[in-house]
Amino acid sequence: MSPIVEGFSALLDPLVLLCIAAGALLGMLVGAFPGVTATMAVALASGFTLSLDPLPGLAVLLTIYVSANFGDRVPAILINTPGTPASIATTFDGYAMARKGQAGLALTSSAFASAWGTLVGIVLLMVAAIPLSRLALNFGPAEMFALVVFGLTMMIGVSGGRIVKGLIAGGFGLLLATVGRDPITGTPRFTFGASELSDGIPFIAAIIGLFGIAEVMNQILVHRKGRGVEPIKDFGRWFPTRRDWRTMLKPLAIGSGVGGVVGIVPATGGDIAGILGWDQARRLSKRPEEFGKGSLEGITAADTSSNSTLGGSVTTTLALGLPGDSVMAVMIGSMVVWGIQPGPSLFSNQPDLVYSIAGIMVIATIVALVISVLRMRGVAKLLELPQHFLWAVILVFCMVGTYAVNNSVFDVAVMLVFGVIGLFLKRFGIPPGPVVLGLILGGLAEGNLRRALEIGGPANILTSPIALGLLAVSALALIVPPIRNAWRARRARSAESATTPTS
Amino acid sequence: MSDTTTNPDAPATSTARPGRRLRDLLPALAAAAFAVVAFVLASQIPEGARLTQFSPRWWPELLAVFILLLSVCLAAGVLFRPTVTVEEDVPEEATRQGAWRLTAMLASIVGYGVLWYFIDFRVSTLALFIALTWLGGGRGWKALILFPVAVTAILYLLFGVLLRVPL
Repeated sequence: MSPIVEGFSALLDPLVLLCIAAGALLGMLVGAFPGVTATMAVALASGFTLSLDPLPGLAVLLTIYVSANFGDRVPAILINTPGTPASIATTFDGYAMARKGQAGLALTSSAFASAWGTLVGIVLLMVAAIPLSRLALNFGPAEMFALVVFGLTMMIGVSGGRIVKGLIAGGFGLLLATVGRDPITGTPRFTFGASELSDGIPFIAAIIGLFGIAEVMNQILVHRKGRGVEPIKDFGRWFPTRRDWRTMLKPLAIGSGVGGVVGIVPATGGDIAGILGWDQARRLSKRPEEFGKGSLEGITAADTSSNSTLGGSVTTTLALGLPGDSVMAVMIGSMVVWGIQPGPSLFSNQPDLVYSIAGIMVIATIVALVISVLRMRGVAKLLELPQHFLWAVILVFCMVGTYAVNNSVFDVAVMLVFGVIGLFLKRFGIPPGPVVLGLILGGLAEGNLRRALEIGGPANILTSPIALGLLAVSALALIVPPIRNAWRARRARSAESATTPTS
Repeated sequence: MSDTTTNPDAPATSTARPGRRLRDLLPALAAAAFAVVAFVLASQIPEGARLTQFSPRWWPELLAVFILLLSVCLAAGVLFRPTVTVEEDVPEEATRQGAWRLTAMLASIVGYGVLWYFIDFRVSTLALFIALTWLGGGRGWKALILFPVAVTAILYLLFGVLLRVPL
């Protein structure tokens, strides 16, 4: 049977369809609650999907991933607060539209743009995943090590001006990955005689702690009474007119292009793509002055671009073994537990999996679009729910979910410790993403570096054009942002001094 | 995601707020201390039979040195450069009430761990939900009775009945 038929027919299982429905509802809900990110939701869901078979489990996680990127537009448009970081750019024009009495139009056009963007990304996944993994199959230890460095530095490079802190976080994650047995000799390291640590730090527990518990702890710490913004109640008309559709065509195309490219780059997600897509559409628009003031073009470009990254992120994650974004970093953890090792050999051995994943994402997109268009008013009501209900649910679900992975109280303790570590990282501006990436990719990095050096010494890495190219791009990813920031700051200072009148 | 509003044209940099220097210095010191402890512990890893050129200590020691160097860079940057920083680096200020609330919630969670050991999961989880909701500011029968009972029931049905986790 052809892999395409095999991949899509696997989705006819009623359990998979049920999991997609459950994931869509859950994803819409978590997206709609500011403070619950898709990363956190997928980390939480990992706890109870591990007892499922891989395909139904993947259906839940992927659908949460897709539909959270629909639900998060609701608070972005109605209360100017992004539901997840991916909808930051939605606030630029979405909230302004809502204040002009066009909340309904903003919500539906955002949903259509998001759906279009996701479908473009899925096409990219189906076209690029297998060729990319075949190319990566030729990689030896030197190239694999360089690929891991590339993935890590890309995640650090997009951490704003926090390059050194990002590098420390990455190093911390890599060091945490050394807990357990040495990948080559099997010698126990940092286990302190605890049998629970001989297989390493339980990373599902660590991820839930870093992304779930830490976020809730931070919200509790900074919460102030009566600070909420009253959601918009006047929705206006809901569906775009023919003229609106024509206005949306150009930003749909721009957003798809920008998001598709950004999505392929490891560790970059919808937040960056949304802002880039919005900015590109503004530059190419006939009415750039309307951007940021309630432009239909602006919201369309931002949401198309942000959602077009989804397919690219899944492609790099599964074809190269490098997380496309932070949600994918968490998902890799679950896949490894299911026995699915993301990386070049995955699609060569199981080409049907590409089509199953693409199929799940297509169905998830359609379901999320239908929920978005039909039930937006209902989802909007959720914004009035008090925060303390959410805190209690997340804390208890994190604990029970973590316990359920291995029926282990030790894992729950690890999760709480990582929650406290995550809170420290958050309060002191250290990005948690590189910690998780280091923890997941540490074994791969160490094993391949040692093998590469054993085989031919440093020359083995320095004579490989692919490894050298990846390392050069990694170095640029670390060097360019601080130089660019310093240059911008200098330019801003000189512009400021030029406009300040001398006394 | 914090509930701050976002402006596309907002400047990327801002001047320092009081306590900024300490907020950058403390992670540098914590990272340095962690790196030193990791290096000492790594040097105690048994060498084992030297089957390869690289001992099991090599990679952890290398990473510990890497982190130590970075923490020195971070500290030097804090001490010798002007304190101009990226806006997203500055976290929202914690409140005294929030700190008490968090401490009390963590204490409840530890208490829950002990209670779960002795009492049935459903009873201990119900007690935890009531405690967390009350500490979070929930009042009235809906928040303190209806919500905890409903969520405990869902939790038990999902994990205990559907997923058959031995709770």
